Amino acid sequence: MTAFTQLITDDRDALVEALREGQGKGSVLRDVDLSGCDLQGVDLSEARLSRANLRGANLEGANLRGAFLDSANLRNTNLSAACMEFAVLGAADLSDADCSKADLRRSNMVGIDAQRAVFRDAQLYYSRPGNGDFREADFTGADIQRAIFRRANLAGANLSNTTGTANLDRANLEGVTR
Amino acid sequence: MIFTHFLTASNESNAFLVACETTRKALLVDAGAFEPAIAEFVDEHGLTLETVFITHGHYDHTDGLDGLVARYRPRIVARQTPCAGHTADVVGHGDTVSVGNLKGTVLATPGHTPDMVCLHFDGMVFTGDALFAGSVGGTSGATAEQQQLDAIRKHIFTLPLETEIHTGHGPSSTVSIEKQFNPFFVE
Repeated sequence: MTAFTQLITDDRDALVEALREGQGKGSVLRDVDLSGCDLQGVDLSEARLSRANLRGANLEGANLRGAFLDSANLRNTNLSAACMEFAVLGAADLSDADCSKADLRRSNMVGIDAQRAVFRDAQLYYSRPGNGDFREADFTGADIQRAIFRRANLAGANLSNTTGTANLDRANLEGVTR
Repeated sequence: MIFTHFLTASNESNAFLVACETTRKALLVDAGAFEPAIAEFVDEHGLTLETVFITHGHYDHTDGLDGLVARYRPRIVARQTPCAGHTADVVGHGDTVSVGNLKGTVLATPGHTPDMVCLHFDGMVFTGDALFAGSVGGTSGATAEQQQLDAIRKHIFTLPLETEIHTGHGPSSTVSIEKQFNPFFVE
């Protein structure tokens, strides 16, 4: 990015249109409410979206590389095939989110709530899901090489057909399917 | 502030560029490798790379210095001199490192190495290999580990909660996330 850009957020429709037109990269949108919006394929790389409400939004294929989504509401959000490499998702709520085929390499998932979230065929190489809540999450076919699940709760999660070796130090693996 | 991140090929270490929008003067945090993307960014944005801040002397944070010095002749700022064979301006805890109109403050966080220093600007802190997202730097023993944890609690976790943490490897984070959830600090 060159410099952070504060987008005007009073008019939600205008904001969505601006994001679709490519003005989202490096933007500052903390606390914004974009719940339920169709943001398929938008470029929000390096954006500051801390505490944003994106519940139920469609971010399929979106570029969120390096974006800050800490403490964001991403419940039931469609993040399939989204690029979230280096994204900061710490303390966010991703419960029931669809992250299938998402690029989560080197992402920060420390302390996230990802209960029942779907990570099928996702890339989690060198990600940091420590202390996260992944109960009943689906990691089928995901690449978890070098992911650090230290103290994460994986009770009931599906880890079948995952590739790579993850750090599961002190993780709760009760009822995990491998 | 102008800010960007580079992933280097040197042990997957990170480098970060901070620049003053007014003066176009830039500072690079760590130099694991002199990646072409660094020069491209500097040229594209009309910046003068005048300072390289080294968080600690490990190769994956310094191997790019030769190339950077040859091209830009920057001032090198580190905890010790020489730094990877280059003369450095030595800084310690509480010292100020300026880049244009931006002022950073040096924070000493020894443990991973005795010379480990962080650099804090308003809204963001660069923690090298002291503090990572959900982890901390490796140390040589229990004494160094405790020293590192104490320094992080004292100098990093006392920064405003929204302060962005940009680390030497892996993803960035915030003070809030690490204080609440880093498994090395919370049970």
